[in-house]
Amino acid sequence: MTLLVMLLGLLTGAALQALLPAWPWLGGAQPPILLALVLFYAFAHNRGWMLLCALLAGLLQDALGQVPLGFSCFCFGLAGFAALRYRDDVEEHAWLAQMVFGGLAAAAVNLLLYILLHHADVVVVSFTLALRKTIGAALLGAVLTPLTFRVVISLERQLGERPATHKEAGS
Amino acid sequence: MRDRTLFVLILAGVILLVILNLPEPVSGRLKGFVRDAVAPLQELVVAISRQGQETIKLARGVSQLMSENQRQAGEIARLRLRLNELENLEDETLKLRHLLEFHNRVPRQLIAGTVLGRDASGWWQTLRLDKGANDGVHADMAVTTPEGLIGRVISATARTCDVLLISDPKCKISAIVSRSQAFGIVTGNGVTAQGQPVCRMEFINVDRRHPVQNGDDVVTSGLGGVFPKDLQVGRLENVKVNDSGLYAEADVVIAADLGALDYVFVVVGLSLGAPPAASPAAEAGTP
Repeated sequence: MTLLVMLLGLLTGAALQALLPAWPWLGGAQPPILLALVLFYAFAHNRGWMLLCALLAGLLQDALGQVPLGFSCFCFGLAGFAALRYRDDVEEHAWLAQMVFGGLAAAAVNLLLYILLHHADVVVVSFTLALRKTIGAALLGAVLTPLTFRVVISLERQLGERPATHKEAGS
Repeated sequence: MRDRTLFVLILAGVILLVILNLPEPVSGRLKGFVRDAVAPLQELVVAISRQGQETIKLARGVSQLMSENQRQAGEIARLRLRLNELENLEDETLKLRHLLEFHNRVPRQLIAGTVLGRDASGWWQTLRLDKGANDGVHADMAVTTPEGLIGRVISATARTCDVLLISDPKCKISAIVSRSQAFGIVTGNGVTAQGQPVCRMEFINVDRRHPVQNGDDVVTSGLGGVFPKDLQVGRLENVKVNDSGLYAEADVVIAADLGALDYVFVVVGLSLGAPPAASPAAEAGTP
């Protein structure tokens, strides 16, 4: 059932990420829904689920854009491991901690992706725009991460994956 | 437990290395497979989104009518609701008629496509359309709207294709100024903080008898084999000529609204990568 919820979340998240508008004042950063899902599986499940989610989310993001296959998997994997490292801290003061971690992770992934793409010479973007995009990604990550957590938690609860008494990540 | 963790980490590392080092054709096929698998869901999400927008429009109309009802009789309210619906229909009809007129007016074969989304990573200025190789769409075909050129197809799977917008720095167009026939290269220059997509045009060996001016229309030259001749690109602004008068550059205000694209047209048959004849699925245009 966890796999089903994950696949549903990833497919819907990928479609939304490609459809939602990218605001120019945020540097054209796309809403990091797939990254938020990876963070969720790092916080609320074990390492195996996080790695699977990072792999699938990365493949989806790269396939739905022009990014060479595997770049996003690598970035999402690193963000997932960082989330695993700090998962105990994030369970406290949930909303705020999730917002802060979501923002930081989105900024870090965005910057790392820029460095990889720039190094591979596949994207022509100035550093200023990359920086603006990173700040935009941080803001979007801070807003979307707690929301994504709530949506997936309620989906898992609806499907019986998560009992009501279970201590939820971020609740 | 420690061994298991190590095994999982090594396995994840190996998978990542394999993915990163896949040969280009295999990587392309894998990407195409994922894209085509997600395409129906994207179409569904786009349809739901458009339906939602229509519902919001209608709800706004109904909300306005409720306040009107306090002052007016029920019959007037009913008529206004009907009028609201008709206005929505009229807007849609006018839009479609505009597209159809363009389709019939342009002496090229066109394939109409719906925009499914933009680059999911946000690093490129690209669009994804719901038309692919099955519909006769191939790489290096021009993509346009009634207002003007918007880009070219950079890759196509069976069911979808990706369009590189003319505002992307990797997009270069051979173009001429309609009035003076001055030849130049238009290059994408990204999007400003205000959301305005911009291009730059560079002229070499400008003819001094026919200088380029602000407001001049820019159209495709037809050279290069990708973009057909005489497609509207935009108009010149901030023209700067160097001291020798031989070199000039200018901003190009793009004619099409790249930020609000729902339906676009792929131009068939004039690109190097296109087959000599359009597929049966391609919509027929005026020859």
